[in-house]
Amino acid sequence: MHSVWAVATNTIRQALRMKTPTAFVVLLLILLPVMGISATGDGTLKGRLQTFVSYGLSLTSILLSLLTIIVSAYSLTSDIQQKQIYTVVTKPIRRAQLLLGKLLGVILLNVVLLVLFSAIIYGITVYTPRYFNVTEAELSKLKTRYAQALEDELQKSGASYSEQSEAQLLQSNAELYHLRVAVSDFEARLAQINNEFFTARTSIVPVEADVDQEVKEIYQKRKESGQLPEDMSVSEIMKELTGIKRLEKRAAGVGHQLLWEFHDVKPRDPNASLFVRFKYDVSNPSVSQVYSQWFIGDYRQIRYGTEPKTAIYETPVRSDPVRTARELEFPADAVAEDGYLAVGFTNVPLNDTVVIFPLEDGLEVLYKADTFTANFLRAVLLILFRLIFLACLGLLAGTFLSFPVAILFCLVVFLTATFSGFVLESFDSLGENLIGVYSYTVRPVIQLLPQFDKFNPTKFLVPARLLSWALTAKVAALVVAVKGLLLLLLSLLIFNFKEIAKITV
Amino acid sequence: MQYAVETFSLTKIFSDWWGRDKIYAVDDLNLQVRGNEVFGLLGPNGSGKTTTLKMLLGLLHPTKGRTLVLGGDGSDPKINARIGFLPEESYLYRYLTARETLDFYGRLFALPAEVRKLRIEALLDMVGLKAVANRPVGTFSKGMARRIGLAQALINDPELLILDEPTTGLDPIGTRQIKDLILKLAQRGKTVLLCSHLLADVEDVCDRISILYGGKIQAEGKVRELLQQTGKRQITTGAISDTAVEKIKQIVQQEDTDCEVTSPMDKLETFFIRTITAAQEQAQPISGAVSTTRIGDFLAREMPAERILDKLVAASVSRETTPESPLTDQVAPVQEAESKPDEGLLSQLTQSAEPAPGETGAREDIKTEPVERAEPPPEQIKKRILDELTHPSITPDGAQDQAEQDKSQTGDSANA
Repeated sequence: MHSVWAVATNTIRQALRMKTPTAFVVLLLILLPVMGISATGDGTLKGRLQTFVSYGLSLTSILLSLLTIIVSAYSLTSDIQQKQIYTVVTKPIRRAQLLLGKLLGVILLNVVLLVLFSAIIYGITVYTPRYFNVTEAELSKLKTRYAQALEDELQKSGASYSEQSEAQLLQSNAELYHLRVAVSDFEARLAQINNEFFTARTSIVPVEADVDQEVKEIYQKRKESGQLPEDMSVSEIMKELTGIKRLEKRAAGVGHQLLWEFHDVKPRDPNASLFVRFKYDVSNPSVSQVYSQWFIGDYRQIRYGTEPKTAIYETPVRSDPVRTARELEFPADAVAEDGYLAVGFTNVPLNDTVVIFPLEDGLEVLYKADTFTANFLRAVLLILFRLIFLACLGLLAGTFLSFPVAILFCLVVFLTATFSGFVLESFDSLGENLIGVYSYTVRPVIQLLPQFDKFNPTKFLVPARLLSWALTAKVAALVVAVKGLLLLLLSLLIFNFKEIAKITV
Repeated sequence: MQYAVETFSLTKIFSDWWGRDKIYAVDDLNLQVRGNEVFGLLGPNGSGKTTTLKMLLGLLHPTKGRTLVLGGDGSDPKINARIGFLPEESYLYRYLTARETLDFYGRLFALPAEVRKLRIEALLDMVGLKAVANRPVGTFSKGMARRIGLAQALINDPELLILDEPTTGLDPIGTRQIKDLILKLAQRGKTVLLCSHLLADVEDVCDRISILYGGKIQAEGKVRELLQQTGKRQITTGAISDTAVEKIKQIVQQEDTDCEVTSPMDKLETFFIRTITAAQEQAQPISGAVSTTRIGDFLAREMPAERILDKLVAASVSRETTPESPLTDQVAPVQEAESKPDEGLLSQLTQSAEPAPGETGAREDIKTEPVERAEPPPEQIKKRILDELTHPSITPDGAQDQAEQDKSQTGDSANA
């Protein structure tokens, strides 16, 4: 252990005195605060926060990834190339200890830097609402001002407080009315960042309708009548037909209704809110606003005429823009005891279009499951797992490649892992014959790599989705315990049998 | 008999990219280095010396044959713990300071922090780099890097010291110091395997040598036996008169052989060291301005190093020889250095190498002394001398050590 630790500290020293981390640290220290100011997003406070967290974490993750690759690959290759390793491996240290020491050094360096930068990002994120004065304290101040003004006006008119008198005053007194509007605006802004950003919500999406049978029938029919396009493979045709059929199940004509049923909805707190997040698509391109009515609750109570146990909520007719994600807030007590929840949508006859809910993000039910801080912590852990994997990768490359080549090798792997989703998808669109070749050669190799894009932390933080401990543990197991360890074992194997003094040109 | 280093039909073939045999770097080498001897591996460039050392330490895998180092595998950490290795160039971490470098290697040996600290200071003292101990070794000259390289090889107080071209890049004074160090380590019962093509160095320190060429041993044996011209005799006298010379010539002619009478020459090394000492003594008040200051700087700090060396030796050799270097004892009848320990190594060195009046056999003595050296008893060899140094109170001459240490410390601060 002492020798592992000696090598680790030496690796950190090397990295620090090489000044590469300094360059990255300075860059981040400048960029992060600048981004905190310049990232405006869509102009709202929520947009600003989302943009900052997303850019900040992505930048940190990318720069630290590059740093990890450089430091870990350089650490071993330079020792071999500049031959300091001659004096190290001839000391009482096992080669495995040497590798582990280097790995430990790189990881420790990463942990320190990651803690530093994520603390900065977290600090700026949490401080931003305060900077723009969107806080609970400010809200209560505003409310007090309104209450004070209301009381003054009531005293002037000599009336006592009632909802009616308040409404009357609001109608007659413009100043009071503006104050009231300001209070509700402020409330909305605060609610938006608290409900849609500073939280960690679980998302439940409706189960896709089972359309396999229908698709098969259509396919058979078209095949018999010779209507199949010739330039598409069977799987491509099936995929397209499935898509069309599924969309059909999520479309409502004028005056029609759609109903989604969810099971196992388990809000943490029944007094908290439930959110229905939706996005419209329309068949009539000239339509930009959709009128709708929603209801949410235990729909079975209506169907079977039993005495209602849980509340059923209904919205008034509302108007929402097309192709923009919006959210409806309901009390969480709409969920039945067994976790059942139904969400209904009515395409009111004011519309002149079929309303479609897109497949990917058309509709989901959200509820708070954890705090933003805990979510942020796990998001940072995801980055750490990625860095540990890259450290192993850098070491592996260092055991059999020389410095610049090792870096290039790591970069290729890193980029492939970053875009693995895209790469894998593009294979699917290849012709039938080519797929056979690829699915047995390149595809398994890519699947061996971790899928960085799939577990991108900003994918969870920006829409305030819960990144559960279970998922975090799964990523840890997959990326670190399986794939990272595999690389480490491979590098131990290579390094252990390596002829260190053999000159390779 | 257990050899310290042994190779059996050791062969190394470097093959080309296609796996075809290209170069026989080492060819069927059978080498035996006995315990407690200074063994020199000689040969021109590319004769397989370094390759052999690398195979001993597991840095290269033999194509054929095998090696035994201290009775085990040279890449086994347990064996490594008893070896000190100085590669052909001092491959050091450029970003570490001298002290950090030694600390790093010390930690690889799992030396406890206190022992490590004391050893590092002792070694820095010894190699004369105390003043620059906090400078990154990347800024060091080749000679300075070599000194640090040597220090790192000694940090574990090794039983077997493997030195690859130990004196390259060193000035004559540094070379001389390393040679003395090797001899003293050998007196303490260490085994030294060194390879070099600087024949003068090898000749001065080695008990036995092997000459390699083309990866094969061309000649092997004791230095004295290999070099002695048994058909000739040499007589060295004081400055005798011409008549005496004539008489001697007559006696020799009676033996039916020729006789040549000349004045013996100084070795250039001796002359050089003497010159530098003189220059240094004059330049002392204005040190820093003269070009030799660098050397002087090192050597000024060499005094305590010499003291440590003496103690290294003294701890394992008998109590009686403690006060003086045994080497000096043999060759310099005038014990001036002893009475004035502050004068430093240089004067001692000069005296030891300088032929005393009427005694021209000094050189011969230096060369052959180790060959006839008696082996110290094994239990004394085993003593961890550096450790003893760290606890002066438990050594028999503890009080004296303490006093000397204090002295050296004040001397250091004055130098710094």
